[in-house]
Amino acid sequence: MTTTQTKSHPLVNTTEPNLIEDTFDYNLPPLIHFEDHPTVEYIDGKPIEFNFSDVKKRDIVITDTTFRDGQQARPPYEIDQMVKIYDMLARLGGPNGVIRQTEFFLYTKNDRETLDRCRALGHKYPECTGWIRAVKSDFRLVKEAGLKETGMLTSSSDYHIFQKLKFKSRQECMDSYCEVVAAAFEAGVRPRCHLEDLTRADIDGFVLPFVERLMEMSRDVPPELAVKIRLCDTMGFGLHYPNARLPRSIPKLIYKLNQEIGVPSDRLEWHGHNDFHRVHANSSTAWLYGCNAVNGTLFGFGERTGNPPLEGAIMEYIALKGDLCGIDTPVITELAEYMKSIGLPIPENYPFVGKHFNTTRAGIHAGGLRQDERIYNIFDTEKLLQRPPRVAITDKTGADGVALWVNDFFGLKGDDRISKIKVHKLARWVMDQYEVEKRLTAISDQELETKTRELMPTIWEKYKGKVGVGV
Amino acid sequence: MASVEERVKEVTARVLKVDTSKIGRGDQFGADLGAESVQSVELVAMFEEEFGIEMNEDEALSVDTVGSAIDYISKVCQEQGVQV
Repeated sequence: MTTTQTKSHPLVNTTEPNLIEDTFDYNLPPLIHFEDHPTVEYIDGKPIEFNFSDVKKRDIVITDTTFRDGQQARPPYEIDQMVKIYDMLARLGGPNGVIRQTEFFLYTKNDRETLDRCRALGHKYPECTGWIRAVKSDFRLVKEAGLKETGMLTSSSDYHIFQKLKFKSRQECMDSYCEVVAAAFEAGVRPRCHLEDLTRADIDGFVLPFVERLMEMSRDVPPELAVKIRLCDTMGFGLHYPNARLPRSIPKLIYKLNQEIGVPSDRLEWHGHNDFHRVHANSSTAWLYGCNAVNGTLFGFGERTGNPPLEGAIMEYIALKGDLCGIDTPVITELAEYMKSIGLPIPENYPFVGKHFNTTRAGIHAGGLRQDERIYNIFDTEKLLQRPPRVAITDKTGADGVALWVNDFFGLKGDDRISKIKVHKLARWVMDQYEVEKRLTAISDQELETKTRELMPTIWEKYKGKVGVGV
Repeated sequence: MASVEERVKEVTARVLKVDTSKIGRGDQFGADLGAESVQSVELVAMFEEEFGIEMNEDEALSVDTVGSAIDYISKVCQEQGVQV
């Protein structure tokens, strides 16, 4: 073990705060800045440099699988619901197509009607693509639907090749997959090969030779038909940090496909699963190491533990690019409200959209919020998500929290805001609920509204016209 | 009319539920008289009501002893033209 030389760090005294606003610009999610020097990953014993800052210039995008992987984890959506969600995805991703594509099943009459109605909306983005088994006959569906691109299952681990699909050999498996790819070319449809279970596959023994063959096949077709590769971390085994071994290392997987096999970044896509809580970090890592597309679902809802949350990718995108790039972030809140209305459960502490994602309970935090909302709010959630920071009223909230609740309730800002002195009766009622009445639950907005009217009649009369602005 | 000191002690006794005779000028509202967070706010509100004045929230809540409350309230009354 090497000994580290300690280093002195004298206090830089100042009377003015350093709020580090080049990173924490309150108008955007906190920006991601990289050091000027490259990141080094040792691959096959050699140091390989990656320049993460390039991500600002690259055409990184988000692709959506809410209607495919997302729908595999729930009862089917109604057609109207999917059309509405598609319409909102188009608004969220904006005119630059940050949400570039979304994929549809094609097997039932409802699947096909949904696709037709989504396309009839006339949005340029997200482009509609299909999803089929690696079966030649399925291309009839893609062709009939008039789609330019479809995903197809090309499972890559021996768990799938031998145990699930019952191929007798890898050669037989590869030949079978390539036959379907050739059928796609023949049908004039771009195949997107989904390397299922990649993070448990024999990379050198199967994956790289297979993708090499796909690249060879792609040389004989027009560029718009060249095969795309989706890296599927089917069981969530992928690891984002450096120095992990294949097949779990995301940096190494992407490097091998991108640099050794030569699949361009705009034909590489990462598809993750959240079995080990790594899903968002893994997909962001895929962007940095050379995948241009990250595949996700709204609110991470997908098979088992879910997929990369699309709205998380949106925030990461803005943070990496340093700009909204045409993204309409408040649509995230609209989508959450809509999804909840049709039965999708969203936990109260879920980032960006859960009921309490920006709700503080502790009085000391509420006091901070009251002085400067930046102290306990991650960014301007009112501007970006139409969700001003809130306080939940409990025994820990204190008069600061009650004052914050009252001001939010009446939508009061600046000099109009009511001091905590003026809400003392309501604060006392709250404390008595716990100290005298021995209550054990949080106090609802409805209860507070009733008590505000009863205990603060003058303030109620003065501001009642504003009720609802902040709540 | 009772003095500012007497009135401050009366209000303090009522809000904090302590005996007026046991309140001294040097007593701290929190450490000696047991005022909790919400009670501090109630005290300020009750002082405002008792004297018919408006106090700056931050200044009023930073006053920590009975004696400094008497001095501060006297000053605010004078500034706001309230006879005491």
